[in-house]
Amino acid sequence: MTSFREFCRICKIIEETTGSLDMTGFVSELFSLVTSEELPIVTHFVMGEIFPAWSDEEVGLGPGLLLNALSRSSGLPLKEIEKIVRETGDVGKTAVKALGKASKEQVTFSSFLDSSVELSIIEVFERFRNIAHATGKGSQTSRIKHLQYLFSSASAEEVGYIARLAIEDMRIGVGEGIVRDAIAKAFNVPVASVERGYMLTNDMGLVAVTAKEGGNEALSDLGLQIGRPIKLMLAQVTPDIETAIKDLGVVAAEWKFDGARVQIHKKNDDISLYSRRLENITGSLPDIVSAVKKAIKADSAILDGEVVAIGEDGRPRPFQEILKRFRRKYNVQDKVRHIPLTLNLFDIMYLNDESLIELPLQERRKFLVASIENNDLVRVDEQLITSDSLQINNMYEQALQAGHEGIMIKNPGSPYSPGKRGKNWLKKKPIMETLDLVVIGAEWGYGRRTSFLGSYALACYDPETGRFLSVGKVATGISDEQLAELTELFREHIISESGISVEIRPHILFEVAFEEIQKSINYGSGYALRFPRLVRIRDDKSLEEVDTLERLEDMYRTQRK
Amino acid sequence: MFKATIDADILKSSIETLSVLVDEARFRISTEGLSVRAVDPANVAMVSFELAASAFTDFAADDCEIGMDLTKVNDIFGVAEKNEKATLELDELSQKMSIYIGGFSYTLSLLDPSTIRAEPRIPQLELPAEVVLNGKELQKAVKAAEKISDHMSLGVDGDIFYMEAEGDTDKVRLEMPRDQLIDLRSGEARSLFSLDYLSDIVKPASKSNEVTLELGKDYPIKIGFTIAEGAGKISYLLAPRIESD
Repeated sequence: MTSFREFCRICKIIEETTGSLDMTGFVSELFSLVTSEELPIVTHFVMGEIFPAWSDEEVGLGPGLLLNALSRSSGLPLKEIEKIVRETGDVGKTAVKALGKASKEQVTFSSFLDSSVELSIIEVFERFRNIAHATGKGSQTSRIKHLQYLFSSASAEEVGYIARLAIEDMRIGVGEGIVRDAIAKAFNVPVASVERGYMLTNDMGLVAVTAKEGGNEALSDLGLQIGRPIKLMLAQVTPDIETAIKDLGVVAAEWKFDGARVQIHKKNDDISLYSRRLENITGSLPDIVSAVKKAIKADSAILDGEVVAIGEDGRPRPFQEILKRFRRKYNVQDKVRHIPLTLNLFDIMYLNDESLIELPLQERRKFLVASIENNDLVRVDEQLITSDSLQINNMYEQALQAGHEGIMIKNPGSPYSPGKRGKNWLKKKPIMETLDLVVIGAEWGYGRRTSFLGSYALACYDPETGRFLSVGKVATGISDEQLAELTELFREHIISESGISVEIRPHILFEVAFEEIQKSINYGSGYALRFPRLVRIRDDKSLEEVDTLERLEDMYRTQRK
Repeated sequence: MFKATIDADILKSSIETLSVLVDEARFRISTEGLSVRAVDPANVAMVSFELAASAFTDFAADDCEIGMDLTKVNDIFGVAEKNEKATLELDELSQKMSIYIGGFSYTLSLLDPSTIRAEPRIPQLELPAEVVLNGKELQKAVKAAEKISDHMSLGVDGDIFYMEAEGDTDKVRLEMPRDQLIDLRSGEARSLFSLDYLSDIVKPASKSNEVTLELGKDYPIKIGFTIAEGAGKISYLLAPRIESD
């Protein structure tokens, strides 16, 4: 059994190494060192994961619980811990520092034993699993206590990595690429086999242990499995239809529905549905489950599609309405009535115990059509095979008129590449306008971004009352350099601070792009932006030019035409 | 085999002595009665619990081990009224416990005992000082300390038992000389404890007229008392917080 201390020792070396070739070497050394039972755990740990991405298990520890556990272990007040976070900018360093300066440290029974007890890798994993499984009334406390146990049982070197694992951010610079190469190196198998195994199983831990125990032969036996969702194939944006045709020649064009992606797994009468983020959402969509059961004419299958909520006017309802369905765990039937869904299927990856992902789209399409019997809720939508831009343009216009997002333009000869955003799938949709909004607040960041202000609260202007009304926050589209720049820029406009939130005097305007305006009760304006992204700072505009509430209302009304 | 009848009140307070520390517990059942040893997830506090067969009005059992979700058991006993009897009957095959109480008949799924964390090794402790006092007095002191701080010291100084808490600005101290205590064995003792834990533990202890504290210097404290007119024995062990310079 390998100690967690040994794992940390190697992590520390990796963290201090810069070249990826050297890092791969150390990671592969670690993989060779541990037992088969520990290998999958270590594979996930080095990437800052506890469970594989497809798994339903989730640690779900926010920074709040983590700091609370640190406060309990060290005996330092929470405020003090928060101060250390702000100074160090890293939960790992915070843990080391907090426990180092502990003044009234809470000890465990282990301190009174003659022989010291050393944490093993397995035990650390078990504790995280306990944390993931804690439910019900006392679960918050027991999560904190499990974490407290880990902190109290660990040495100074180890506490840092425990804290980072807890929030699933290892920061030793190891990602999928290095892990893939390290598995290949440690167990002497081709990189391509590891890559293929990962694509099909979505579980690097499983790939590692398979390579260790059965080599290349066992790796090539790995395949898709019902109940283990794979990453979805993604699309790039194409500026226009003509470019897409120039790149691909003959294309397969389909409507791009305004809904939410789902992956469907069927085995006999068992249906499971997974969201784009691979969460199991089967329980929330009983209507789709039973419709799918009827529609699929196959014993087993994995399918890709888009769930759409159609309103009474026959047009798609806003995305957030669908999310209400996805997130619903109780009174599901109630929502089934209020937000009826339909499913459009457009791809098939697995059929009657065979993987189809390596077949060209054209071939997969035939299998898809043959194995689905359309019904009221589930259908395979039309596909157009052509190189005529006029025809495609017509399709695009129709999709938009029906209130959908645009169209997908696909390479008919391409395989299904899980998790890849390549040139084989292109999407064409209209570009939304942007809004110029004023920044009224911000938050001090976590992790790498600790001493920077991020997550900017935005507001529009209401000339009727002369007030600025919030419309949500923007945290993406901001580079690290920009973050530093913005922090400096806003520093003199800070009105007050409380915890990590900062109130800012309305002065600076952001031009913000977004996908959609949504109704929201969370913000003063009554609206929120979906996928807001900072385009630029409008230092050319003054406070009087902030977009008004009226303009937001207009855009909300017209966006679905 | 296990089938037993008991005052619902006794079982309810028994379960509470456990549920202040853990959500699930492994019960050892024998002809002698029930026993549990459980440690809280942080390995800071542990409870050992024994309820003799004589606490039950009827008791028939073979040796076995079962796991129970204490939150669920607490919920079930929430409906019990004063002086009501509860009958428990184990179905080993289906791993379910039937509980009959006030006309209700519950079927509770048991937990696989092997999935419940085993108690860790517990150090052999020699605790020089011993104090016996009314549980109410102890709870009063803990409540006073909570107003000021998140930790408190317990100690013995000659013939005086004291409890002390110090916050950022304020301080509270309670002294109890030998004649205010039920009993005192003097010895060098002063340890600091988290009030989080202490207040959970004194909740069930406060119902007892006679609570025994065993103490040392920067050492765990043992808090013991009986329930069900002596047929039940509860003993907590709580690890201290250690002040470094």
